[in-house]
Amino acid sequence: MIGLIVRRLLQLPLILAVVYTITLALAWAIPGNPLENPEGRQPPPEVVEAMKRQYNLDDFWTFYFSYLRSASGLRYAQETWRGGAVEDDETAPPPRYVFDLGPSLHQEDWRVNEIIAGALPVSVTLGGAAILIALVVGVGAGIIGAVKPNSAADLATLTIALVGISLPNFVIGTLLLLAFPVALGIGSVASWGRPQDAILPAITLSLPFAAYIARLTRMGMIEHLSADFVRTARAKGISEARVLLRHALKNAFLPVLSYLGPATAMAMTGSFVVEKVFTVPGLGQHFVTAVLSKDLFLIIGVVLIFATMLILFNLAVDVLYRWADPRIE
Amino acid sequence: MLRLAVPVLVLALALAGAVLSDHPRPPADFTFINRADPNTLDPQKMSWMQDFRVARLLYEGLVRNDPFSRDFAVEPAAAERWEVSEDGRVYTFHIRADAKWSNGEPVRASDFVYSWRRAMLPETGSDYIKLFMLIKGAEEFYRWRVDRLAAFKKGDDAAVLWSRTLEKFDEIVGLRALDERTLRVELARPVPYFLDLCAMVVFAPVYPPLVSRYEQPDPETGRLDVRSGWTKAGVLVGNGPFKLVTWRFRRDMRLERNEHYWDRASLNVDSIAVPSVEDPGAQVIAFTTGAADWVCDVTPSYRGDLVEAKLAYYREHAAEYERLRATGLDPIEIDRRLPPDPRKNIHTFPAFGTYFFNFNCKPRLADGRENPFADPRVRRAFALSLDKARIASGVRRIGEPPTSTLIPPGSIPGYRSPRGLGYDPERARRELAEAGYPEGRGFPTVEVLISRDGGHDVIAQAAAHDWRTHLGVRVVLAQKDTKIFRNDLKNHNYMISRAGWFGDYGDPTTFLGINRTGDGNNDRAYSNPVYDSLLDRAEDETDPEARMRLLEEAERILVEEDLPLIPVFVYSNVYLFDPHKVSGITSHPRAEQHLYRVDMLGDGKGAERPLALPPLAPDAAQRDESPAAADEPGGRG
Repeated sequence: MIGLIVRRLLQLPLILAVVYTITLALAWAIPGNPLENPEGRQPPPEVVEAMKRQYNLDDFWTFYFSYLRSASGLRYAQETWRGGAVEDDETAPPPRYVFDLGPSLHQEDWRVNEIIAGALPVSVTLGGAAILIALVVGVGAGIIGAVKPNSAADLATLTIALVGISLPNFVIGTLLLLAFPVALGIGSVASWGRPQDAILPAITLSLPFAAYIARLTRMGMIEHLSADFVRTARAKGISEARVLLRHALKNAFLPVLSYLGPATAMAMTGSFVVEKVFTVPGLGQHFVTAVLSKDLFLIIGVVLIFATMLILFNLAVDVLYRWADPRIE
Repeated sequence: MLRLAVPVLVLALALAGAVLSDHPRPPADFTFINRADPNTLDPQKMSWMQDFRVARLLYEGLVRNDPFSRDFAVEPAAAERWEVSEDGRVYTFHIRADAKWSNGEPVRASDFVYSWRRAMLPETGSDYIKLFMLIKGAEEFYRWRVDRLAAFKKGDDAAVLWSRTLEKFDEIVGLRALDERTLRVELARPVPYFLDLCAMVVFAPVYPPLVSRYEQPDPETGRLDVRSGWTKAGVLVGNGPFKLVTWRFRRDMRLERNEHYWDRASLNVDSIAVPSVEDPGAQVIAFTTGAADWVCDVTPSYRGDLVEAKLAYYREHAAEYERLRATGLDPIEIDRRLPPDPRKNIHTFPAFGTYFFNFNCKPRLADGRENPFADPRVRRAFALSLDKARIASGVRRIGEPPTSTLIPPGSIPGYRSPRGLGYDPERARRELAEAGYPEGRGFPTVEVLISRDGGHDVIAQAAAHDWRTHLGVRVVLAQKDTKIFRNDLKNHNYMISRAGWFGDYGDPTTFLGINRTGDGNNDRAYSNPVYDSLLDRAEDETDPEARMRLLEEAERILVEEDLPLIPVFVYSNVYLFDPHKVSGITSHPRAEQHLYRVDMLGDGKGAERPLALPPLAPDAAQRDESPAAADEPGGRG
């Protein structure tokens, strides 16, 4: 187990370097100049040129290596080594980050590190809540469906699951928004920070995950409920609840567990739509807006964060898998 | 099975902890939803309206405008008085003794020198750098700095270059702090609207001891390494009426009264909150549920219906409404005097901007074909065949006045707009025939370049319909992503494109300048020496009356003869606020909001006196009625 963790963590920087290279190559190819305003007044060409040089936007390879140097912490290490980062505090510039992800080209006052530091906890909280809801609802619905396949209850949960997968988030989100805060006066709009603010967006975000988990659970449960070991357990006179939870669910849960890795990474890096509809200050919006404004540093920053989370959650799932089922090597 | 429940429980507990530890603040006195989170709070860098709106609260220039005067009067702010030399070239400002930064330090004349010099440096990247070039020697200083930076080699001493730069600035630029409280500005030529510029936020000062810490010469390139960070809450020092207490990226912003502000007695609210709500539908919901007092840019797809509902409300109270309108009252004041009704919380006021179509005026198109739009007769034909009133009332549906001029009529005191070309399909066909395309025969397929979002597709479709029917030409739309759209404009890779322009200061040149030969914002590649020379002559003209006549003639050439663009309608700002509850939002056509004037009526704080523009004289009220306002009662209110 320790070997697995060490091996994966050693792979992490290599994978990130590959992801960085591909992302930068694609983002660099987006047409347009990130320093120009989409509308209205344009700065004089000399100013644009000066800014381009400042951010190394005039040469791909200069940008490639200079970003790699600061994002990997190499620049920080070098400057600390030379003593460049330590100055008296009266004239000292603001501290550099160890892993400096650069400035945002569009939101000029913010560095990518600050943007991610502000948005990531929000997305992690919301995504965590959504996954929790999805697990409880999805596994519950899956069990109900599997106990009596093709019954009314099964059909109902299947239908709801289908709706959950097919209906886009913005429809469900807007409907919830119209139903609760607007029509009934329950909950809040355009506010974030109180526990009740997370409820509606978490439910919206959880639905597709819940639906998928419900289908996975139902399939697994149906398969295992007709398996020999369950028949044996029933024949021994074990109570039905114990059969369901202890024997069938334990095995049916394993596919859900492997789905949870990417699902949690997805949920916790934010959703553009849910964040827009409920005004959640999360990370998801940047995946879209950064690309539209060709904000190179921010594009790379959020992609690297997403890649890191995906790798870490998959690792966590693999560890949990072995812990839950020691037969797996 | 229990093993699996453990991580789930841990996750649940962590979530509960995270949620409970994050406390929101108590509601502010006034909450408004800005169009988007500000791009920057650095006054010398900003150019977006949402940035200006907040920055006007945090900084104060030498002078400020009074948004509740008809002429948008300039009044003293950080400067208590000023003198202008006989020839209009030298301004001497006297900074008031009680002008203070938010940390209690006095505002000095040298702070303005520092801040304006920042704007003139190429590495600051100021979008408004051109306005600073009106100061004597600024252009030369800027060129000098650009050249020196280009010549900078590895091994040169960046600190030496920087001190040379400061010396050069003092040597040649006409900007000097005569003492702690006296600022002398020498202009390259007389600029009659210079005070209006000084009221713009880009001319507001930054606090040098703070900002200079973030701008150090970079030893490798010689440039100033301009770092962000000083505009954050808790760090930023401003001299405006409010100070920044919280700014969380794309989440919220909170401002509180600056206790060191010299005019603090005039403030009517203690705190202002700006939650970041970017979804148009959510913005409206936030207002209707009471989470926001003012939405400054209402853009959901159903806003036409909201405006429609208000017109229905006016029709229900037609007699009273017409009586009030005849007295020339500010539309906000009219709303206050009519019975309360949630339908009237939507307001459309004309903005200081125009929606238009660009023509590519180059002799050849980007692909090498001959460009039919190089011929002004063709451009006139396209302008004359466009039914603007139908676009404004049928497509936009928020009562925007159709226009035939680039400068919104009536927005600049002392300026008389030319007539422009109206809707005349008959004459349009004649013009096109004279250009060699009778009934549109032989005319190449017209491509109209538009950007995605913003409803430009439907406007372009309506225009294409007119051009097809009246001129007999083939028209196709090319919708592109913003960045590509921008690129095509820059490279003149288009025939006709959508466009818009908002003015920055109260002078016609804020609109006319973009059509000068070679101007950085001349996407049309329009070039007419007569037009340019009129603008040049206006620059040298010292008599304000004669100057206005020259500029009027320039615009006449633009909108009656040459038509490098087709003005379509004057933009409107669509607001949501309850006129019985909120005071301090102005309906002035300059369309700038100075939120330190805001007063929440009925909260027991402040003056509790509802603000409005003074009534127009009754005959002026008649004249003010644009055709759109006449057939749609309250179209502008």
